[in-house]
Amino acid sequence: MYILFLKQFLRSRAVVLSLILILVIGVISILIGEQFLTRHEKTVTEVTRHQQEHITRNVNFHNDDLGLLLYYVRFTLINAPNPLAALSIGQRDVNPSIQSVTIRNLEGQRYDTDLTNPSNLQAGNLDLGFVIIYLFPLLIIAFMYDLLSAEQETGTWRLVAVQSTSTRRYIWTKVSIRALLLYALLIILFSVAILKLSLPLSGALLLFVLLSMLYLAFWFALCFWIVSFQHHSNINVLTLLSLWVVLAILLPASVNNFLTNRYPVPEALSTMVQQRDGYHEKWDMDKSGTMSKFYEHYPQYRKYALPDEDFSWLWYYAMQQAGDDDAHQFSLAMREKIGQRDRSSHLLALVIPTMHTQLQFNELAQTGLSNHLDFLDQTYGFHEQLRLHFYPKIFENALANEEDWGQFRPEYLDEHREIDGFDTLLPPLLLTLLLFVFTTINLRRI
Amino acid sequence: MQSHTILLIARQFWMNTFKPRAIYLIMLLMALMLAYAAYSGWKHYTTQNDIRTHYQQVARESWENNPDKHPHRMAHYGSFAFRLKPPLSLFDFGLESFTGNAVFLESHKQNTLNFSEASFSTGLLRFGEISMAMLLQILLPLIIFFLGFTAVATERENGTLKILLIQGASWKELLLGKTLGLMALALLFFLPVAVSVLLLFTLTDDLVLTSDVGGRYAGIIAAYLLFFLVISIITVLISTFSISSKDALVRLLAIWLFLAILLPRTTQALGNYFYPSPSKVEFEAALEEDLLKEGDSHNPDDSHFKALKDSLLQTHQVSSVEELPFNYSGFVMREGERMSAHIYDRHLQKLLQTYQQQNNFTRLTAFINPFVAVKGISMALAGTDFESYADFQRQSEAYRYQLAQQMNELQMEYISNTQAHDEPQVISRDHWKEFPDFQHQFITINRALRSETLSIIALLVWSVVAIVLLLTLSQKAKAL
Repeated sequence: MYILFLKQFLRSRAVVLSLILILVIGVISILIGEQFLTRHEKTVTEVTRHQQEHITRNVNFHNDDLGLLLYYVRFTLINAPNPLAALSIGQRDVNPSIQSVTIRNLEGQRYDTDLTNPSNLQAGNLDLGFVIIYLFPLLIIAFMYDLLSAEQETGTWRLVAVQSTSTRRYIWTKVSIRALLLYALLIILFSVAILKLSLPLSGALLLFVLLSMLYLAFWFALCFWIVSFQHHSNINVLTLLSLWVVLAILLPASVNNFLTNRYPVPEALSTMVQQRDGYHEKWDMDKSGTMSKFYEHYPQYRKYALPDEDFSWLWYYAMQQAGDDDAHQFSLAMREKIGQRDRSSHLLALVIPTMHTQLQFNELAQTGLSNHLDFLDQTYGFHEQLRLHFYPKIFENALANEEDWGQFRPEYLDEHREIDGFDTLLPPLLLTLLLFVFTTINLRRI
Repeated sequence: MQSHTILLIARQFWMNTFKPRAIYLIMLLMALMLAYAAYSGWKHYTTQNDIRTHYQQVARESWENNPDKHPHRMAHYGSFAFRLKPPLSLFDFGLESFTGNAVFLESHKQNTLNFSEASFSTGLLRFGEISMAMLLQILLPLIIFFLGFTAVATERENGTLKILLIQGASWKELLLGKTLGLMALALLFFLPVAVSVLLLFTLTDDLVLTSDVGGRYAGIIAAYLLFFLVISIITVLISTFSISSKDALVRLLAIWLFLAILLPRTTQALGNYFYPSPSKVEFEAALEEDLLKEGDSHNPDDSHFKALKDSLLQTHQVSSVEELPFNYSGFVMREGERMSAHIYDRHLQKLLQTYQQQNNFTRLTAFINPFVAVKGISMALAGTDFESYADFQRQSEAYRYQLAQQMNELQMEYISNTQAHDEPQVISRDHWKEFPDFQHQFITINRALRSETLSIIALLVWSVVAIVLLLTLSQKAKAL
């Protein structure tokens, strides 16, 4: 019986074609993800090679002047993508994955972007996340909208009603066949991804797959509920597509507009202006003021007194430090503003499954805003360590070749965010269950 | 063919559309979305431009308030360029949210454009933004499909089609009438958007409807009218040549999904695949390599600058640089800046060209996808397209170069080669005020149109082909 149903469903050319189409797009999306990872690896190789060359060349030029040398030398911190990033590229194409900083003023360097084509960013990535969030629901709608109405419109429904022991079981069987096919497709795509991208079998991957399955279940439940009202096929497809447009485009985009206007970030620009003014004005100010602020920030350097010269590196780096210190409050305010955006969107996403799934995909793949904020925070720590390492040597006028430059290889972001499966899975699960309850109530009337 | 019959059919189609209650729901939804889009477009425009103008002024005040000092200090002090949003960006956001808004301009170094809206985004930007243009490009075509799929197919299903044809209406009249009716419905949705834009201009003091903006506005209106004509004709034709209304609806929805959602993303990904662009690390490494090859003014042993020094001494018949009639290190820096800016420019042009190649991949699909054609024209006329972004980058770099060279020339002129004791090497602060502030100039409408010639041709071709198809295919339509 079940096999017969399956055969009957697959007899439609449109069904087979759409299954193949989504399979092909799914595989392409995995290849796009792979390309993203390869490009990143290539960049890392390049930056590692370049950093060594760069240091060697500058050490040769400025061996006797460590202060000047460190004016030029840049050190790299890398936010290496989790392999799952290939499935959900998220904000990774917008935000840089590599920070190269000198020990000078950090606020003037920390927000430098990568080079990107804005048209590519606008079009968005065709990653597996997109295929799951946008395309699978469309397929579900296409398979479900005439679940009951097609039989009613072609006249076979009466036969079914007379011949089968339970019409409800008949309907559920039809739904399960459609679900079976789509879940099989989803599993195939994940298997391809695991093999092609050699994804490690981690908890994050498991959650990624489970969330995808729940997300599809939500759409099945939604479609089932709509068709259980037993309207005409045309009305069903219009309603379902409208719901898709609302859930996949209008609602999330409206929330995005809302957040953009609710939380503008002028703090970014004040940070930018302030770090310049905070540093540069010190050139025209009394040195002792700058120095006392510096000693306040770093009491351990009080032992280095300002030499009696027009220019000294101690004074210079104290001025640079002042740029950071003056911009600090604005930088914190910017961080807070962006954090507010992040919190608000996660909160609103709880009731909008498309948004929730996208944000959670990004969390799991470490490609979201929170990952970038971690990167910015750790850049701060990375930069501070470099300063603490080099400041005493500069102030003591150490020679450059006394330093072991080989140890300065690019470092990597240490990302360890707790993943809470409960938060990830619960909201779509509850919505799905609710819709199934509604559907069952409707089906009683058949 | 009688225009009277055509109008009659158009009117009948229009009346029939307003019978089901669903249309009022759609109109309500569209009205709400329009109100929201207009509000947030206006809000974003005013807020962002206020913020950016404010910081441009703040940065300028600090610049002018600098005391007397060495001009090279001012070259490092630098300036900022904040990208202003063009007036019609409140209608079409285009690439605005994905382009950097602020850049720090200093000598020796070209910085990146930072703080794009996307860089503050939580990831929701992926779903798109609600702008008036987005409603017209994505939502309204879908509504036209919703309202028009029944146009002929349902008449056939009800049997009224035969009656119409028996009563003397020709196929041509029928299809033209249906198209006219559908187009009129499209206008019912389109006009409020067009009026809203004008309304925002009259209600806001900062927004002035100059002849340039007026021209852009007219161009946008014309482009969308052609686009809706094409969409209406496609709808009527699909409705005519489908076996049932359900069949017509499914086909139209498939077309919408493919052309509006799937194809643009895919072609952009392909363009990116075939024309890979360098990351910043690769770009800067290549730049540095060229700089080292041609001459590094910061390297004391550089051969280019050694040769330059020798020829300089010879021309001026002096034995040391201190005897030169101008400041020598200012001269070296001017030469260094000239060379590095030149090399940078070459690399930047190449980069922008690669981006253009990526974009052209999508742009070419305008000939098979009218959605892409209208999107390109709309963005270009709103001033939110790639060309405008690239132009801002060029303007800010040109300003940076001017600033650096102006300071180098002041140094050559006013700073002596030998420093006398206790005499600071500074020049008057009046010079800072003399150097004008950065002014972001939007590109002209002509240039905007030129950059989208391909899209304009594509849209015109689409319109002509659609009309010709409507007229010729009407002879092949069947009543059963």
